[in-house]
Amino acid sequence: MTADQLTIVGKPVRKVDGVELVTGKAKFAGDLQFPGLLHGYARRAGIPAGYIKSVDVALALKVPGVVDILRGEDIPGPNIMGILPPYDQPLLATEDIRYEGESICLVVAESRDAARAGARAIKIDLEEIEPILDIDEAMAEGSRKIHPGGNIVVSKNLIKGDIDKGFREADVIVENTYRTSHQEHAYMEPESVCAVPESNGRVTVYASCQSPYHLRGHIAANLNLPASRVKVVQAFTGGSFGGKDDVASEIGALAAVAALRTGRPVRIAHDREESIIGSNLRHPSRIYYRTGAKKDGTITAREFKIILDGGAYASESPFVVMKALIHATGPYSVPNVRGSSTAVYTNKTYSGAFRGFGVPQGIYGSECQIEELALALNMDPLELRRKNGLKPGDSTGTGQIFEESVGMQACIDRVDDCRKEMADAPEPDPDRWLYGTGYSGVIQGISNGAEGIDVVGGSVQAMQDGSILVGVGLTELGQGSRTVFAQIAAEVMGVTIDQVTVRPVDTDSVHDSGPTVASRSTTVGGMAVWKAAQNVKKSLVSMAALMFKAEEEMVILKENFAILAVDDSARIPLASVATAAYWTGFPLMDLVFSKAPVADYDEETTQGNIYIAYNYGCHLMKIRIDRYTGRVEVLRHVAAHDLGKVVNPLGVEGQVMGASLTGFGLAHLEKIQMKDGHIQNANFADYAVPTIKDRIPTETISVEDYNPTGPYGVKGIGEPPVAGAAAAFANAVADATGIRFTRLPITRQDIVKALQKQQEDSHGSFSKDWRR
Amino acid sequence: MLIEFNCNGKDVSIEAPPQTRALDLIRDQLGMTGTKEGCGRGECGACTILLDGRPVNACLLPAAKLQGCEVMTIEGVSDGSGGLHPIQESFLDQGAVQCGYCTPGMIMSARALLESNPDPTENEIEEALAGNICRCTGYGMIIRAVLQAAKVLRGERKR
Repeated sequence: MTADQLTIVGKPVRKVDGVELVTGKAKFAGDLQFPGLLHGYARRAGIPAGYIKSVDVALALKVPGVVDILRGEDIPGPNIMGILPPYDQPLLATEDIRYEGESICLVVAESRDAARAGARAIKIDLEEIEPILDIDEAMAEGSRKIHPGGNIVVSKNLIKGDIDKGFREADVIVENTYRTSHQEHAYMEPESVCAVPESNGRVTVYASCQSPYHLRGHIAANLNLPASRVKVVQAFTGGSFGGKDDVASEIGALAAVAALRTGRPVRIAHDREESIIGSNLRHPSRIYYRTGAKKDGTITAREFKIILDGGAYASESPFVVMKALIHATGPYSVPNVRGSSTAVYTNKTYSGAFRGFGVPQGIYGSECQIEELALALNMDPLELRRKNGLKPGDSTGTGQIFEESVGMQACIDRVDDCRKEMADAPEPDPDRWLYGTGYSGVIQGISNGAEGIDVVGGSVQAMQDGSILVGVGLTELGQGSRTVFAQIAAEVMGVTIDQVTVRPVDTDSVHDSGPTVASRSTTVGGMAVWKAAQNVKKSLVSMAALMFKAEEEMVILKENFAILAVDDSARIPLASVATAAYWTGFPLMDLVFSKAPVADYDEETTQGNIYIAYNYGCHLMKIRIDRYTGRVEVLRHVAAHDLGKVVNPLGVEGQVMGASLTGFGLAHLEKIQMKDGHIQNANFADYAVPTIKDRIPTETISVEDYNPTGPYGVKGIGEPPVAGAAAAFANAVADATGIRFTRLPITRQDIVKALQKQQEDSHGSFSKDWRR
Repeated sequence: MLIEFNCNGKDVSIEAPPQTRALDLIRDQLGMTGTKEGCGRGECGACTILLDGRPVNACLLPAAKLQGCEVMTIEGVSDGSGGLHPIQESFLDQGAVQCGYCTPGMIMSARALLESNPDPTENEIEEALAGNICRCTGYGMIIRAVLQAAKVLRGERKR
C-alpha cells in the first residue's frame, strides 16, 4: 500500500491515552488505594563497601506502626535479582555491601512515616572497607574482588579485516581518549509498586515499570511460586528511559514478599533521593579511539577500547557492552576494525539501561574522531561523513550488509541543505560571542539483536459493534506506543481511531513480549499488531463478501464500513459485518507471535548479522559561547533521522525533541557528583535536569527509507537522537573555541576555565581564527 | 486541626494532623490523585496547585495554609461539563504530553500564567514554567501548546 493510500498511518494523531493524563484521572502506581495498605521502606547501607557484622531489629519492631521487618533470610526464593546472568544482585544484602544504596532490611508499617522511623531504629553494625571507585583500580592485578568472579563484568571483542593493513594504508591517523559521566534518568515519577495478596493464593503487583514480564519472573522466583501465580499490572508509568527495570523488579519482589507475609497490600514508593542513589544510572565510560584515513578522506582503519564503569552490579552491563561494541564504527564504512568493550565493577550505584544503551558514549567519541580527522585532512566535516557514510550494500562494523533502508546519505544531504541555508546567518558581536557549528552522524540498532530472541505477542479483537481491542505485551512509557499500535490496527481494519482501544499491559492477558527496549516497540510490536489485525480483517472481509455476494477481492474496509471496490456507495456498516461474522462463526480474535530474524554472529569477532534494521541520522548544532562567562546558547539544532516510515509525526517529533534534550543534558549540564563513593547531589536542586530554560531549538527531519522488516516500513526513533545531540554539541564547542574537550559533560565552568587558559597561553588575546 | 477552604469550587471542611502537607491532604484525604509528587522538595513542580490563583508547590505547603483559600487542582481545570479546558486540548493537540506525570503541574502553571497574561511571549512562558520539569518532551511542544491555548482563550482560534 503506498503512502497516499494510507488513512491514518503517517498522520498526526493525539495520544490515545492522553485525556486521562491531562485531566489527572490516569492512575499511576502511587495513586492506587487499597484497604489496609501498608508501606515499605528500605534501610540502606549508606557506605560504599563493607560487610554486615550484625543487624538488630528488636527496637525497630517496637516503633509504633511497624508491622514487619524483612531481611534477606526472609525471602522465600533465592534473594537474587538481575536482568541477565550473572544475576549477582541481592534484593536485601546479607553479607557484602557493594554500594551505598544497598538495601539491608525492608520495614513494613502502617504509614510512610512509621516505616521511616522503623528503618532509622534498626541497629546495623557494618565493617567499612576501602571502596574501589576507579575503573583502573578495579582492573588492576591483585585488586580486591568486588564479586567472587573478579571485577570484570564482561569483555567482548570486535575484529574485522586486517587492522595493521588498514593503518598502513592510512595517510593520516588521529587518536584520542574520551570520557563520559554518570547520567540519571530523572523520570518525573519515582519508582513505585503496590503488591496486593489475592484470596486465591496469587499476588497482583501494580507497578510503574518498563518490562512487566521481567517483574513477574523476579517476583515469582523470589516468592518461590510458579510464575502463573503472579500477575503484574503496569500502572500508568511516569517515564522510564531504561530505568524502571531492575529497580522495579527489586521493589516489586520485596513488596510481594511483604504482602504475602502480612496478608495486606504493601506499597513501596521511592523518594527522589532513593530513586537516584538506589537505581541504575547511565554508564560512565572511557573510550580510546584511533582512526586512520587516506588523503581523500576514505577511512581505512579504526582501533578502539571501550571501558564502562558498571558500578556494583551487572544489571544490563553485558548488553550495554555489546551495544557499544557493535556501534563503535558509527554509521560509517570501515573495512578494518579491532576493538574491545568491557564493563567493570566498582563500589558505586550500578549502571544499566538508559536511552541509547552505550551508543551515546561511543558515538560521542567516534564523532569527535571524525571531526578531528576532518581537521587533520583539512576536509569539510560533512563531506568526510558523506564519503564514509553507509550506503545500501555496505558492510557495518559487524559485517552486516543491508541492501535496503540505509538512509544515511539522505540524512547528511538534508543537514547539508540546512547548512547552506545558514551560510549567511549573521553572527553579531563577535568580540563577545564565539560561534561554532558541530555535526554528528548517528546509528542505532533496532530490535533486541544480539540481546536475544525478539518475539512479540500481539492480539486484535473485533467486537460485534465493529470496534477493535488491541493487546501488546510492550509498555506505554510516554513514548506513544499505544497510539502507534492503535493507528496500525485502525489502518488495517479500516476503522477510525476512536474505535480502537489498546489495553494496558497485564501479564495475565497479554503474551510475554520481552522487554520494552531497543527502540523496538513500533517496529516489532507494530508488526505483531499488523499481522493479528490482518487475520481478523480476513474474517470481516469474508463475511462482507458473503453479504455483498461478491468476491473477497472486491471488498475494502474503510471509514468503519465494508465497501465494494467498484462502487463506493455500496456500503455495509462494519458493525453489521462484525455482528454477522460473529453469528456465522468467523473468528474475530487473533493472537500472533511475531518473531524477528535471529541475530547470527561469531562470538569471538562479533562479525555477523545483529539487528533487523538500523536507524541512521545526522545532526547539526550551531551554538555561540560567551567568551567571558562560558554561557552557551544553542542557535540551531537539526536532527535528521532515517526512521523508515513515520507513523505518528507528533510522536516522532516528541521523541526527537525529548531525546535530543537528554543528549544535550548528558553533554553539557548533567553530572552526578561522586565523593568517596557517595552521590552528593541526589536531588533536582543540585543535579541539573534540563529545565524549560535549557531547551534547545530542535528541528526534526524525517527521512523515510522503507524498512522491509517493519510494518509500513517503520524503524524506531526513541533512542538515536540522544547520541546525535550530545556529539554535535561537543563538536560545536570544539568548533567555537578551538579546544577539543574530551570529557562529557562539557560544562559552562569547564568552558570558561579552558578559555581563560587559552587566553593566558596566547598572551592575553583570543586567537580569532584558530582553524588555520 | 480543622481546615476549611474551597477546592475546585466546592467548600471543604476537613480534620488533618498539624504537620500534614497540603499535597498529602489533597491526595490522601481528599482522594484527588491528579496532583503528583516528583521530588518532595519543591524542585520539580509536579505537585503545582493554584492557591488563590497563584501556582504553588503543594509538597512544600503546610495544609494549614489552605485555610480560607481558593484552591484549584488539575481535577478542577475543566469546566465540569465533561469537556476539556483549552489548555488541556492544546496539550493533546501539540503532543505536549508524553508520560504525563509532569502534565498536571504544567497545566496548573500554564493556567496561572494565562489568567494573568493572556498573550504571553515564549520568554514569558519559559519564566512561568521554569519550575516545572519535564524529562520526556524537551519542552518545545509544551511552549507551542501554551501559545495555542492562549490564542483559543483570546478567541483568535477555535481550537
